[in-house]
Amino acid sequence: MSSLSATIQDVFNEPGCGKNANKSEAERKKGCTKQLQPGGAAGGCAFDGAKIALQPLTDVAHLVHGPIACEGNSWDNRGAKSSGSNLWRTGFTTDINETDVVFGGEKRLFKSIREIIEKYDPPAIFVYQTCVPAMIGDDIDAVCKAAREKFNKPVIPINSPGFVGPKNLGNKLAGEALLQHVIGTEEPEYTTPYDLNIIGEYNLSGELWQVKPLLDELGIRIMACISGDGKYKEVASSHRAKAAMMVCSKAMINVARKMEERYGIPFFEGSFYGIEDSSDSLREIARMLIERGAPAELMDRTEALIAREEAKAWAAIAKYKPRFQGKKVLLITGGVKSWSVVAALQEAGLELVGTSVKKSTKEDKERIKELMGQDAHMIEDMTPREMYKMLKDARADIMLSGGRSQFIALKASMPWLDINQERHHAYMGYVGMVKLVEEIDKALYNPVWAQVRKPAPWEKAGENWQSRAMAQAEAEAAALAADPVKAEEARRAKKICNCKSVELGVIEDAILANNLSTVEGVREATNASGGCGACAVRIEEILEQMVSASHAIAAE
Amino acid sequence: MPQSAEHVLDHFDLFRGPEYQQMLANKKKMFENPRDPAEVERVREWAKTPEYREKNFAREALTVNPAKACQPLGAVFAAVGFEQTIPFVHGSQGCVAYYRSHLSRHFKEPSSCVSSSMTEDAAVFGGLNNMIDGLANTYNMYKPKMIAVSTTCMAEVIGDDLNAFIKTSKEKGSVPAEYDVPFAHTPAFVGSHVTGYDNALKGIIEHFWDGKAGTAPKLERTANEKINFIGGFDGYTVGNIREVKRIFGLMGIDYTILADNSEVFDTPTDGEFRMYDGGTTLEDAANAIHAKATISMQEYCTEKTLPLIAAHGQEVAAFNHPVGVSATDKFLMTLSRITGKPIPEELARERGRLVDAVADSSAHIHGKKFAIYGDPDLCLGLAGFLLELGAEPTHILATNGGKAWAEKVQKLLDSSPFGQNCHVYPGKDLWHMRSLLFTEPVDFLIGNTYGKYLERDTGTPLIRIGFPIFDRHHHHRYPVWGYQGGLNVLVWILDRIFESIDATTNVPAKSDYSFDIIR
Repeated sequence: MSSLSATIQDVFNEPGCGKNANKSEAERKKGCTKQLQPGGAAGGCAFDGAKIALQPLTDVAHLVHGPIACEGNSWDNRGAKSSGSNLWRTGFTTDINETDVVFGGEKRLFKSIREIIEKYDPPAIFVYQTCVPAMIGDDIDAVCKAAREKFNKPVIPINSPGFVGPKNLGNKLAGEALLQHVIGTEEPEYTTPYDLNIIGEYNLSGELWQVKPLLDELGIRIMACISGDGKYKEVASSHRAKAAMMVCSKAMINVARKMEERYGIPFFEGSFYGIEDSSDSLREIARMLIERGAPAELMDRTEALIAREEAKAWAAIAKYKPRFQGKKVLLITGGVKSWSVVAALQEAGLELVGTSVKKSTKEDKERIKELMGQDAHMIEDMTPREMYKMLKDARADIMLSGGRSQFIALKASMPWLDINQERHHAYMGYVGMVKLVEEIDKALYNPVWAQVRKPAPWEKAGENWQSRAMAQAEAEAAALAADPVKAEEARRAKKICNCKSVELGVIEDAILANNLSTVEGVREATNASGGCGACAVRIEEILEQMVSASHAIAAE
Repeated sequence: MPQSAEHVLDHFDLFRGPEYQQMLANKKKMFENPRDPAEVERVREWAKTPEYREKNFAREALTVNPAKACQPLGAVFAAVGFEQTIPFVHGSQGCVAYYRSHLSRHFKEPSSCVSSSMTEDAAVFGGLNNMIDGLANTYNMYKPKMIAVSTTCMAEVIGDDLNAFIKTSKEKGSVPAEYDVPFAHTPAFVGSHVTGYDNALKGIIEHFWDGKAGTAPKLERTANEKINFIGGFDGYTVGNIREVKRIFGLMGIDYTILADNSEVFDTPTDGEFRMYDGGTTLEDAANAIHAKATISMQEYCTEKTLPLIAAHGQEVAAFNHPVGVSATDKFLMTLSRITGKPIPEELARERGRLVDAVADSSAHIHGKKFAIYGDPDLCLGLAGFLLELGAEPTHILATNGGKAWAEKVQKLLDSSPFGQNCHVYPGKDLWHMRSLLFTEPVDFLIGNTYGKYLERDTGTPLIRIGFPIFDRHHHHRYPVWGYQGGLNVLVWILDRIFESIDATTNVPAKSDYSFDIIR
């Protein structure tokens, strides 16, 4: 059994992850461990990530070993849907107290496991490690092992205490736990040439159910969905699937890749967001299954289904196109959702004027550029003032964003639609896209936005903060335009690395002075990207620009 | 028997017991000439069809389940809003018992009101003696500062002349000659409770301003900076008037609330019975003539009162039970314009908070279809707010709404794309509404307590806003006016929407995959 730190190192070595593959040996060792800026607004921890990834397994008892903080704040906090058991929604925790912290919580954990088995008898129990028991040295692996032997029941340790890193790491550690303790431990009752795994899909708002009927119609069986609406036995026997589709690109890539390595299950990375993406994914599924021995006629049936579903969806969306004429969208969301939604929105006839790439990788960025063209306006860290300016200049009519940025949008008086995990509608598949378009239409035409944008009737022109901010911004811009020295100063003063507070000018100077060509070089010289590492992509871009600029000079 | 002295069951449980069930079944079978259940079912279903709706709307004479009350109820409501005033209804005592119970059941407060208790001989020979004795007894028993007289149908049908009767009563010594006895003729066969409110208030104002029925000199107006405020017949009078006072206070406006019944319908339980509490002082009522302007929150409650006030040289402004951002904006801007006082920061912030709340929740209300019924002004106020929220009003019905009202509603609907599929039904009743809800279903119904039958029969979730609300407590303590009031209405609507979602997703192992803790 490998230690936690060894597992983490293994995750960081993930060759399937483009981000990791591009890193140096030393960087990889540091891994994705985001050392968040102390005092900054932080995202979720590794425990949260592990819980998110596994919680949608519906018939498992998810037992959180720790003080009330961890389960108290995460109990039933995601909109995953279950077609069967509701056990996953029951909040199980050891709720350890001061005495446990002093004398150790292992006994309480063991008793908790026993009580769950006596009262609920689930097919498996997942035991989540958290910071406090990890720090006092509770060995959940040993407790789980003892419980497994005593009760003859899978008791799976999920070793992902919050302090080891961010949410994304937790996703991967959850995947490791499945690989180590669950996948391949049971055999399916039967297999077919049409058995498919779907990895990294959580069935939020029941999204998977918008796609499943299509697969059912084609005779493709979802052998296991990891983990949305999943069942323990399905995951345990998922190693017999013929092919796999990986949905959320970064969260569980280690699961997909290692299943390919161990069991020879090929996978592809796909998306059911957007009409064309859905069609591409269905085709790819059919192609892979045929390659693994399914009859070739599957492709004909798949194409027929695609043609039918596309026609239906287009017809439904066509109604909205006139209403979306000239409407511009600003997309503020992280990672993979950016590019997959970009495609979908363009299908609906909306014009994208910007997207955030905060959590996106370089490939994500490239994909967005590919879809949106060169003038893609990617917003790295948009301030409310900038957002307001975009709106004011009629450069965006609506913002699509995650639950947390909605509030910024509201204060910036912009229509907003939630497309992250706290959304209440399912946007996957062909019907999902129609639903998304319907919701955008609603948001665009909701009268509250006119209300939001309209100043109170007693306000005098130019007196609200928006007008003052705009005036200030304009004055600043004018001052810069008039003064090239100041403009250059302002350009160079742009903060590239927020963690270590490094400005563009400092990086440029370091590159020129030391003739640097790598991110590592820049980091050694300036400390930039020495924190969370998120700005490495931007530093690469700076390097590229400077190299091409110097080539241009050399060519003259 | 399931009933025993040791453990007395009430009707919730008692009649569900097997003995009673058996007894009721036998009774039905043996004595009630029961119809074939299939036939009953067929007719029940038929009553949901467009064919039935057509017959229903062809009704010419019969009113079924009216959404209005009678004039004197409104008169009583207005009268208790004056300092130590007892409403005296000239006519049959049974009617008066109704007003008292109606108001008590809504406000959960005692409601004091007396009657001249006319009987058959009074109906034949006229009610003068009842008036003479009634005023004397009321004056001596309840020591009011003012007795505000209105009428029931009985007195109106025989044509009792209140002015003459009160004069005679004073001559006969029922009450002192200079004692204030304003009056209003309020026959129930004309208009509704909102008309009665209007008539009674007009009677009181006329009494003080125009020479107390010829017993005093008419008042001369010397304009000051005060503002008169009239709430109209309003089930939320307790919360609303307090909220309005707070707004006036924030703006630094000197005001007189006319018919301020916010205290008498919300007296504290502290060991003291207050037959009267709060109210517009008689002095203020008289001095209201000098005010700069009079604001009425409900146009259709002051159709006669406002012209009377305007005729005395004041500016008057009428609103339609304003609810929500734009409507409150209009109200405040009018106040600001008339008084020259700016909108204070506190109200600006409250506005921003209401807009914020609407924006946070708009997705859940957007496109939802609503049926509304109630008093004319309330219908207008609520419809305006729904349009502001992106909801789609679909049926708007007021039994006591007329043609002019319908046109005004139509104009409001025409002003928004969300009002395009809505129809206005003036003078219709709740049985019409039943057909509407069956043939053109909506997502939610807004109305008073009687809407619960429509909710049960048609399955349309009811949001209780209006008067009377008998089966829910204390909502009248919350304002629906001002930005804070808009927030309350928003929350009531949202609560019902979420309850409805929960109720349709709570079956274990069937629909509870959507039984979410986050909405």
